[in-house]
Amino acid sequence: MPRPDQRLELLQGTLDMLILKTLLFGPAHGHGIATSIRQATGDALVVEHGSLYPALHRLQRDGFIGARWERAPDRNRELKYYRLTAAGRRQLAHQESRWNELVRAIGRIMTPVPET
Amino acid sequence: MLRRLIARLTQRGSPSDAEIERELRDHLELDAESLAASGRAAPSNARSAARRRFGNVSGARESVRDVWRWAWLEQLEQDVRHGVRAMLRSPVYSLAVVATLAMGVGASTTTYTIGRAIHTPFPQLPQDRLLWITYGNAGCGVDCTQLSPAGFAALQQRARSITAIGTYNVGTALRDPSGSEPVRGFAVSPETWTVIGARFAAGHGFPKDAGFEGGPHFVVLSYDFWQRRFDASPGAIDSVITLGEQPYTVVGVLARDLVFPTAADVYMPHRTTAAEAADHASRYLNVFARLAHGATIQQAAAEVRTINAQLVRESPKTDSGWVMRARPIAAYHTDDLATLESISDIAALLVFLAACMSAANLALARLSARRQELALRAALGVRRWRLARHLLTEALLLSLAAGALGAVLARWGVRSMRDAIPANFAAFVPGWARMGIDPHVLAFALGAAVLAMLAFALLPVARATRVDLAAVLAEGGRSSAGGGGGVHGTRMRATLIVLEVSIALVLLTAATLFARSVRNMTRGDAGVRLDHALVMDLTLPPRGSDSSRVDFFRRLDANLRDVPGIRAAGVGTTTPLSNNFSGTAFDIPGRAPQPDGRPLSGIGQHVTPGYLEATGVAIEQGRGIDERDVSGTQRVIVINRYMADALWPHTSAIGRVVKIGDSTWTIVGVASNVHHGGLDEEMRYTLYRSVYQAPRDFGVLAAWTSADPDSMRGVVRGVVARTDPSVAVGNMMTMEAMQARHVSPYTMMAGMMSVLAIVTIAIAAVGLYGLIAYGVAQRTREIGIRVALGAGRRDILANVGAGALRLTAIGIAIGVIGAAMFARLLTSMLYRVSASDPRTYVAVSLGLLVVALAAAWVPSWRAARVDPTVALRE
Repeated sequence: MPRPDQRLELLQGTLDMLILKTLLFGPAHGHGIATSIRQATGDALVVEHGSLYPALHRLQRDGFIGARWERAPDRNRELKYYRLTAAGRRQLAHQESRWNELVRAIGRIMTPVPET
Repeated sequence: MLRRLIARLTQRGSPSDAEIERELRDHLELDAESLAASGRAAPSNARSAARRRFGNVSGARESVRDVWRWAWLEQLEQDVRHGVRAMLRSPVYSLAVVATLAMGVGASTTTYTIGRAIHTPFPQLPQDRLLWITYGNAGCGVDCTQLSPAGFAALQQRARSITAIGTYNVGTALRDPSGSEPVRGFAVSPETWTVIGARFAAGHGFPKDAGFEGGPHFVVLSYDFWQRRFDASPGAIDSVITLGEQPYTVVGVLARDLVFPTAADVYMPHRTTAAEAADHASRYLNVFARLAHGATIQQAAAEVRTINAQLVRESPKTDSGWVMRARPIAAYHTDDLATLESISDIAALLVFLAACMSAANLALARLSARRQELALRAALGVRRWRLARHLLTEALLLSLAAGALGAVLARWGVRSMRDAIPANFAAFVPGWARMGIDPHVLAFALGAAVLAMLAFALLPVARATRVDLAAVLAEGGRSSAGGGGGVHGTRMRATLIVLEVSIALVLLTAATLFARSVRNMTRGDAGVRLDHALVMDLTLPPRGSDSSRVDFFRRLDANLRDVPGIRAAGVGTTTPLSNNFSGTAFDIPGRAPQPDGRPLSGIGQHVTPGYLEATGVAIEQGRGIDERDVSGTQRVIVINRYMADALWPHTSAIGRVVKIGDSTWTIVGVASNVHHGGLDEEMRYTLYRSVYQAPRDFGVLAAWTSADPDSMRGVVRGVVARTDPSVAVGNMMTMEAMQARHVSPYTMMAGMMSVLAIVTIAIAAVGLYGLIAYGVAQRTREIGIRVALGAGRRDILANVGAGALRLTAIGIAIGVIGAAMFARLLTSMLYRVSASDPRTYVAVSLGLLVVALAAAWVPSWRAARVDPTVALRE
């Protein structure tokens, strides 16, 4: 596990995109989302709980994700599961394309392709 | 979109604190589990490790809560800021919308409030359980007189479905060491207060033994009188006051605003005696009743009919042909005013419609101007929902500003209407004096204005965000035919203008008809002296003898004769135009009975010799009442011209005989006609007798002054007090003021209608101006081409002007039909002008046409000056 100062800071608004992307694979609860982001980035990104839950609720408020208390498959109790809505899918597509543009634009500056 | 809006507004989906708490605890637990599972913490302290990692739980909970709490407010604030900016960007539009809607809300709320005040004459009583028993016949109208004590007693004893009470007017005077003050009083059945369900501000109703002949005297005060004379002191209860010459014990003070049946100062109990109950001939009781528990008004009406039929059988001579009817008590005040009420309601609705149409018109015009902006913003990725919200917020802000301003206007309007009404009118509309804005009405007007604005704000959203962006953007501001929504919008705006013009015409017609009534009324000859004339009521001590009254009148006459500044003065029974007279039944020996079996009746005047001269009544034939006509000489009578012409059409009335009661009176003169009722009422027979031959215990004093009548008030009061200090002087006013009392309702209606008409005309003119100006702006290129091809300025002017003319003409045509329908409602309130008076319609139509053309002139003129080189290059 990297030391805290080796972790990456998330760009503003990127957390939303990551949450949406994570939910693309199916409903998950907050802990599950945090875990899969952490695992997928090899512990490089650790989502702080203080920012995860406000983000989840903001997305829910804006109608991009829905929430429901459901019985967890491996335990005898209900957990709050989030799922992507249609608007959330569109939002994800929108953010993804913007993200790609951003990455390309920054990439051009950082690693210019020599002109042929 | 709507569902989301509602969800936002109601914060639906917002989780409870407990829910957030639970979610965060779940997280902690799951974290602890995974920590333990991965072996990074011993199961025993996994939980505290997780908590350490998590940090501040309550902080996290708060920030989640904030997501929900502030979202709504934040966005609202953003929208409001955006809306305010948009409003400030186009101040003319914003001002026009706010002013238009505010005038609409203000004018219609004011007008409707007046209607409501008229509609609820007894706000303090259970109006739906109370009835008014009318008495009348086919000839004189259903409610032309009051019930006889016999009729009332029959209702009281026989009716099962109602409990009846009787009242009659009592003029008396309150005496205290400083002098006498006349008071308006009613004698009422002792059980009145229980029956009508009156509430008391202090004390209670009459005791059980009240109202018996010779028993103790009790009195109930009205709230106003209590305030005015007793400074609302609780000590007034059980105190003894002197009314006339009798001591009365004050037992109660009626609740504030309780008026029954008209405004009064004092109420004394009166129990109908057995002797009175046998009297079928005198008709003086106003009878009201309360429905028994479970009884319906239909049952009561049927029972009253049955009792009426019994009375006719029992006393056919006096009662046949006469009909009692049970009606809702509100009719007691509102019969005459029902028309006024519906007129004001309709006018309120019309003005409000015109204002909404005008606001819609402005919103549509602005849409045309903003289509580009909206399309651009939509193209830049502003979500449609967001765009709609901006427009809605803007509309909401405008209509709220208009509503606030409208409320201020309405407050001012209601206040000035309340103060504009003379006291006599207020006495018959009990709610008037305290008339205030009805919050429901204001809320309704506000709501309607907001809804109208929102509807027209959404129109651009539906249109502008859906139009072909490329087309709109390419079009620029120079579209020649107004592509996209333009044509549609223009047609809609034209329709709105037509309707506004027609509403303006309806209101202007009504205003003109009322204004002409006022003019006819003030110019019309009332038959009496209006200038330099002062009149007042005299109330004499009730226990005096006839001879003491005759003596008082004679001494008063003599004392007034010597006063400098008074040309003539005299005592009569009623003042001209006062609408406060009692009928005198008479008979002409040898004349066949009336076809309807009714006795002849006229206004009875008991006068001193100076009265006719003082009031300016001319003797047209024979002689007037003079000093010779005293007790013991021949009984003489002077009748009015109307009576002489009606009863003796072909011969002279002089020397004929009139029988009143058991005595005969010889006609010695014919006097000119005088209106004793309103100016708008028909002439009645009038019989003048000498007060020395037919004494009365009350009367009026009329004085013809050479000086300003107002300056003589104190002098005249002094003369009366010197003659007899126990005589009360009340209601002193000039005859001009007396006349104004009749004219003022008409003046009020004329004023109200004029304001409404001017508002609507202004609204329509602004709308027309805007429409033509917009059309010209859109057609600049086309006009440029026309000019380039050789069209003269005159042609362009005619071309543009014709459009305005056409709209106005259609509006006037529709308006004339509407005005004719509206005017039919006004008929009963017009004075000597027909509701279908062609001159009025022509004048109003022409007037409106001129205003419309003036409004269209400026943009047309601008069109005519279009420079083709500039217009085409643009």
